[in-house]
Amino acid sequence: MKDDSHYRKIGFKCGLEIHQRLATDRKLFCECLSDINASDKSIGHVTRKQRAVAGELGSIDRSAEFEEGKDRTFKYHIFRDRTCLVDIDEEPPHGINMQAFMVALSLSQAMGMKPVDEAQPMRKEVVDGSDPSAFQRSVLVALNGQIKVGSASVGVPSLFIEEESSGIEREEGNLISYNTDRLGIPLIEIDTDPTIPTAKAAKEIALYIGTLIRVSGMAQRGIGSIRQDVNVSISGGARVEIKGLQEIDTMDRFIDNEIDRQENLIRIRDTLVKRKASVGRPKNVTRAFANTKSKVLRSSLDADGRVMAIPLHGFKGLLGTEVNPNRRLGSEISDYAKTAGVHGIIHSDEDIASYSITKEELAHMRKELSITEHDSFIIVGGKEGQAEKAASRSAWRASQAMVGIPVETRGVNNVELCTTRFLRPLPGGSRMYPETDAHPIPIHSMLMEQAAGSAPSIEKEREFLGAKLTNKAYAEQLLTSPRLQLFKAVTTKTNVEPNFAASVILQKLTELGRQGVNVSSIREDRILEMFREYDMERITKQAIDEILKSLGREDEPVDSIIKKHSLSRMHRHEISALVAQAEKEGKADANAIRKELMSKYRLRIDGEELNSILASKVS
Amino acid sequence: MSFNFKGTQSEGELMPSTEANAFDIVVIKLDNGYNIGVDFYASRLRLIAKRKGKIAFPKAKIKQAETLPKVSVVYTGGTIGSRVDYKTGGVSTLQSPEELFYTVPELAGIARIEPQQLFNISSEDMTSAEWQKIAESVASKLNHGSRGVVITHGTDTMHFTAAALSFMLEGLNAPVVITGSQRSPDRGSSDAFMNLICSAHAAARSDVAEVSICMHSSSSDDRCALMRGTKTRKMHTSRRDAFKPINDSPIALIAQSGAIEYTGNSYRRVVREERRKIVPRAKFERRVALVKPYPGASPEIMEFYIGKGYRGMIIEGTGLGHTPVSTRDKEDSWLPAIKRAVSSGMVVGMTSQTLHGRVHPSVYKNLRLLSNAGVIYCEDMLPETAYVKLGWLLGNHTRDKAAEMLPKNLVGEIKGRSEYNDFGV
Repeated sequence: MKDDSHYRKIGFKCGLEIHQRLATDRKLFCECLSDINASDKSIGHVTRKQRAVAGELGSIDRSAEFEEGKDRTFKYHIFRDRTCLVDIDEEPPHGINMQAFMVALSLSQAMGMKPVDEAQPMRKEVVDGSDPSAFQRSVLVALNGQIKVGSASVGVPSLFIEEESSGIEREEGNLISYNTDRLGIPLIEIDTDPTIPTAKAAKEIALYIGTLIRVSGMAQRGIGSIRQDVNVSISGGARVEIKGLQEIDTMDRFIDNEIDRQENLIRIRDTLVKRKASVGRPKNVTRAFANTKSKVLRSSLDADGRVMAIPLHGFKGLLGTEVNPNRRLGSEISDYAKTAGVHGIIHSDEDIASYSITKEELAHMRKELSITEHDSFIIVGGKEGQAEKAASRSAWRASQAMVGIPVETRGVNNVELCTTRFLRPLPGGSRMYPETDAHPIPIHSMLMEQAAGSAPSIEKEREFLGAKLTNKAYAEQLLTSPRLQLFKAVTTKTNVEPNFAASVILQKLTELGRQGVNVSSIREDRILEMFREYDMERITKQAIDEILKSLGREDEPVDSIIKKHSLSRMHRHEISALVAQAEKEGKADANAIRKELMSKYRLRIDGEELNSILASKVS
Repeated sequence: MSFNFKGTQSEGELMPSTEANAFDIVVIKLDNGYNIGVDFYASRLRLIAKRKGKIAFPKAKIKQAETLPKVSVVYTGGTIGSRVDYKTGGVSTLQSPEELFYTVPELAGIARIEPQQLFNISSEDMTSAEWQKIAESVASKLNHGSRGVVITHGTDTMHFTAAALSFMLEGLNAPVVITGSQRSPDRGSSDAFMNLICSAHAAARSDVAEVSICMHSSSSDDRCALMRGTKTRKMHTSRRDAFKPINDSPIALIAQSGAIEYTGNSYRRVVREERRKIVPRAKFERRVALVKPYPGASPEIMEFYIGKGYRGMIIEGTGLGHTPVSTRDKEDSWLPAIKRAVSSGMVVGMTSQTLHGRVHPSVYKNLRLLSNAGVIYCEDMLPETAYVKLGWLLGNHTRDKAAEMLPKNLVGEIKGRSEYNDFGV
């Protein structure tokens, strides 16, 4: 952990973009169901081509990217209840989902934002195929807010409501398959100013915004339903966007690692400049490896591929220098090579012998590159076309090491180590133009009153929970729990004691999750059903474990699980009969009877009820 | 522009408002590319600098081989030939081949493209006057050495134009391909690109000497269907495979790669050695109506047309070709009006609102009553095609000749055999 003054010293700049899927009934611009349900299977697909009508494709060999873009085929899987013609670009959008729009407007009010007078649906160009229409619909709802979290105060310049993209299913060569059930689910995006002072503050602000959205009661739950992008830069470094962080807990570590990475890369740069380093042109060195036994290179050559190499002067020792835990400058270069479709690179700071490359082959290659043993090199093998592209991208990245830090979009590389890797160049501003098929949304005073009235408030929620729960730790935990709405449903729709409900929702589910129960797949309405059964005295406390375990295995109505596994709670008269029977068999001792009955019917007999029956017998 | 946004001084670019915006709203584009609508009176707009509103479309210069066949591309309007100004969302028309090649570079490898903008009319706004102009333009292109012609067209009434050209371009000996798009070309997913490429292939390389429609054959971007102009209809409001052959199958399926797969459906072939100039027969009688009876439809509808002196009417009847005839209330029967129409000299043709299948003049008594009254049963012809055909016949022939030719096949609009596979809904 770095102390606060350190961030100031290095010119730390950090801003967040929080994306949260909303739990509305319907999608943003059509009437499709808006949840994700694994039992809705794909009923067919369409295949499409897209072409780059937009220009901003990033800075590395744009023309090549363009060529690639033309070749790709996209396959869109269609789901019965969750894909309609609007999703697959065969019907104009319907009117905007006002339920979702109101959530956005309410949230804007909770952050003191100023809504626009008439919201304008826009099309934001998307080039990766994740949207069949090649654009994402997005609406700027409000501007110029401010939030205060702990001692940090940060501006919230904009809040958007937009369409979620399709989920990628698989990528095989030039064929990329997407699932369109996710496409078009309302997504809230909240941006902050790049003035967050520390990594810890970033984490707190992300948590605050996430909690605020959840408190609205309209946040979708589950994997990927919230994603946070973090923008980080330091003086002398570059703006880097870390995309798609799903866990808030480790956000500060990702940020601190990015600072380290930039600082280390600056140090490497300084050394390279001092050494007057240079990067030569990539060269085809296939001949040097014609008879190689190296598995990596052999597989490329056997596929009629080739081996390329890049001569590097003044890089010795630096390719192997760590910039982040288990990440070296070599890994950074390798990321660029991989975008061309190869598996990676081999560089001279590695143990070359471990690749089964012989001294003779190396000598031959050095000769081809006109370099000595004091120089460094990068080798990359791949199919024709791929290898050249990988080499030219590697050479570009290596030469950037002498200049500084490339502006990049990075993704998670290792969750445990909190490291990232290059995904693509940071796009220039996306091309935006009006979505003329969807009507602008006037924000008149009536909507504003409604929004102000329903603006979520963490403070109010805290008070509400505090009043309901005697266990204050539960109250705090629930506030940031994705299951908050479930708790509220259970305690408003049943008479179950709130502290007990909280203990099941917070502790029991976590505990079962650790035991391997697939807790995240359990639908919340099933859990609510279970609490209803408990409330009606149809199951005992002890049966709850068993029911949750069953629900984790299969999505079935709770009453049929109760029947199937014989979990229904025994009536008082049944228990009395069992007690009488035991007495008849000569057991007079209440403890012995209790022990016997509980060992036999632990899940079906309520202990307290049994005690009261036994007590009445004794008296 | 600078403006006051609820207390914060802000800057942005003023955008043109559209009919969708409220009257007191001005639309401003912010730095991040988003447009916002702000209250005109409260925002106190102030001009900082003027910028050019129009942007020049990028062009691609491509040298084309002289050996490629010459194909004319005639723009008539619709979304397909348009480009969007990304800033404003405004639409304008592509004009030079260089602009077209930038958008669809593949075209340069298929044919020597000669684009011409004839007019820029949405297809729902077209009349027979536009059909005549297109026919004349196409004839002139073909008479001046084009191997084939591609016509870009709005999709709504594309099948009317296709039918009209089929009749007007008598003695056609070259492919004339009409295409359009259901998704505008400003989106990377537009069907326009593939439709144009496949149409260019059809015009440059196929031997189909007919007027055809070339559009997506399915919702996927795999192949286009080349369909007979007189037997094709727009069957969906928005899907890219909206056009379907009715009582017919496609002539060919064309892939973007240029692979043309003929389906076995018969078609008129290009005769290489024949070099005859085409003189379009393009007159059209506009006093022809297309009328659709329905339960309770009043025969006064017919009376209206009789009174206006209409010379022809195509009825889009129910089922095998009915109008209300033996109604319980005599006032509701169309039979007397039809008799009056025929005796006034009007040519009355019968088609079916089922679209699929053939009408028949004698299966039921009511049908016999109608045909005895002089209604001409138009076989398996589409109502729209029959309407166009009758207007063309009455424009170029006598009333009796028109009545005689209406139920007879001229250019593929009527098929003698109803094939099992033609009902592939």
